[in-house]
Amino acid sequence: MKYVEFVNKSISQKILKSKKVVLFGQNISTGSCLSGLTRKMSVKKGDYIINTPNCENTQCGVGFGLMINGVSSIFFMKQQDFLLLGIDHLVNTYNFIRRKKPSASFTIVTTVVDNGYQGLQSSLNNFGDFCSIARVPGFTIANKEDIKQIINAHLISPGFRIIGVSQRLFELELIEIEKTYSNKESTLFQYTEGNEVTIVCFNFSFPYGFELHNKLKKKGIASSLFSVNVVTPINWDRIIENLEITKRLVVIDDSKSENLSCYNFLMDAYDKCQINNKIIIKRDFSKDWLSPNLDQLEINYGNIIEKLIGTL
Amino acid sequence: MKKNYNVEITEEILRVRLGQMIVNERYKNNEFKIPIHLALGHEAIAVSVDSIMEKDDKLILSHRNIHYNLAREKSLKPEIDEYYLKEGGLSKGQLGSMNLANEKKGIVYTSSILGNNLPVATGVALGKKVKNEDGIVIVETGDGAIEEGSFYESLVFLKSNNLPVLIIIENNGWSLATRIKERRCDIDIKKLTESINIKYELLDSNDTYEYIEKLKNLREYTLLNKTPVCIEVRLATLGSWYLKTEDHPNGKFINYHAGPAPTVNVKNGALIKESQDDPVFVLQKYFSKDEIEEISQNILKKLEEEIN
Repeated sequence: MKYVEFVNKSISQKILKSKKVVLFGQNISTGSCLSGLTRKMSVKKGDYIINTPNCENTQCGVGFGLMINGVSSIFFMKQQDFLLLGIDHLVNTYNFIRRKKPSASFTIVTTVVDNGYQGLQSSLNNFGDFCSIARVPGFTIANKEDIKQIINAHLISPGFRIIGVSQRLFELELIEIEKTYSNKESTLFQYTEGNEVTIVCFNFSFPYGFELHNKLKKKGIASSLFSVNVVTPINWDRIIENLEITKRLVVIDDSKSENLSCYNFLMDAYDKCQINNKIIIKRDFSKDWLSPNLDQLEINYGNIIEKLIGTL
Repeated sequence: MKKNYNVEITEEILRVRLGQMIVNERYKNNEFKIPIHLALGHEAIAVSVDSIMEKDDKLILSHRNIHYNLAREKSLKPEIDEYYLKEGGLSKGQLGSMNLANEKKGIVYTSSILGNNLPVATGVALGKKVKNEDGIVIVETGDGAIEEGSFYESLVFLKSNNLPVLIIIENNGWSLATRIKERRCDIDIKKLTESINIKYELLDSNDTYEYIEKLKNLREYTLLNKTPVCIEVRLATLGSWYLKTEDHPNGKFINYHAGPAPTVNVKNGALIKESQDDPVFVLQKYFSKDEIEEISQNILKKLEEEIN
């Protein structure tokens, strides 16, 4: 099953299990249904699916207005950069709403355009910048386990949040791997236990980390694979404990920001651990990042493995 | 009394006017840390909206909201305490002036951001439809906010989804210190709204009694036809003054926007301007000057007892 099919299925199932909910957005039940994200979604009798006009600012305000009136909704947003037009609501309206514990849920499910060669519109593929603008809870989903858990826990739940899906992963086969741990907020997931290397993935970089883990495994190197699925700082103790054992760290962050989510973790890691070998994989902004480009990280796994082997 | 008109409406106009004038006196004394946008001259529409609101109706306001809040709450002290950011304020001192809402009285959202409240009102109206609730949504905005994209977006969304909403545009001709003609082309709101099949109504008499009757009919119309209605209210924000500077020895005209209105003084009575610009002046169609003065004195006394 493809990534987008599983996200679609998980959201559909959650909606059908939930009480009254309004689904809205542009083209959500017509055309390509947001490249399959909202295909064949149905709601219970009395609920609503609304194909809206092109009005991103209003769409954001409508979600909060529904929330004020006690009605839960999901706003499907074709591209995260469109959400720029509604940012006033993510800050000002949300600040009004969040003073009191809301009874209704409002979730924006947005696609982060990170599939490459999209030009200017993909210069903003950093989910973290969006969420940090008003400390909005935000979740990225990248594999079967985190999709299942985050959709179930957060898609329809009192309060507001954004859930980001990766365009780059849409047509790829879903990564299926069991977790060994997740925190109760569903913001930190651990998939493997190893005492030689600690791999920590941020934003939508889990597939890179998973590939590195598999390649290390083939070389007989045991790694712990973590994924941080949220942008706001979290308790890093679980990763730090592992890093204190392995003393070898690979951090992968594929977001496009001057303030990467991984920096907060790195400050804590540098402060608390003696790290013998650290490899930080992030974007190189010295290159032309405005023109259409590959967008995906170009990772030389062989080099990384060589560097790690050097300190084993 | 010239005819048997409901004196309570006149009392409400005067209460909202004098309540603001008391706030203004304290504002002049630098008693508030927060910015407040007085709405002297806007009382007719606020009292009319309050008068026609039914139990399930929701009201959504903008940064200039003192008149609606006074009209809905029927009391000055909670609002003044909110401006002092006291625990006992209308919103426990958490919202101040520009975001002041009052859920118990149907004011479910107030925004300090120009045009921000229109999409939220649209969502509240959609929520009513989804829940099959009675009542309508009334959203107040201004001639500055209609320049924002959210105004047009919301109209299209409201019409597309058949939502009964009264959109009240308080057109005072100014945005901050800029006249309409200094910042933009004319916008024919009637043509604009009618181009998307939204009914338009103009209110420009400052006559509260007349406004109430018209709003009652428009409320029925929006409910019956499940459609938004756009109401342009032409009014003047009173409290302007002339500032003498080196460049302007005869005084430069300063339009009132926010802060205290230095030339307005509660000791001079409720009337600010002897013209149709002032809804208190328009009350003379229904009551004599002396009658208004007597009602005014009684209300002022009650207000002062309430807050002191």
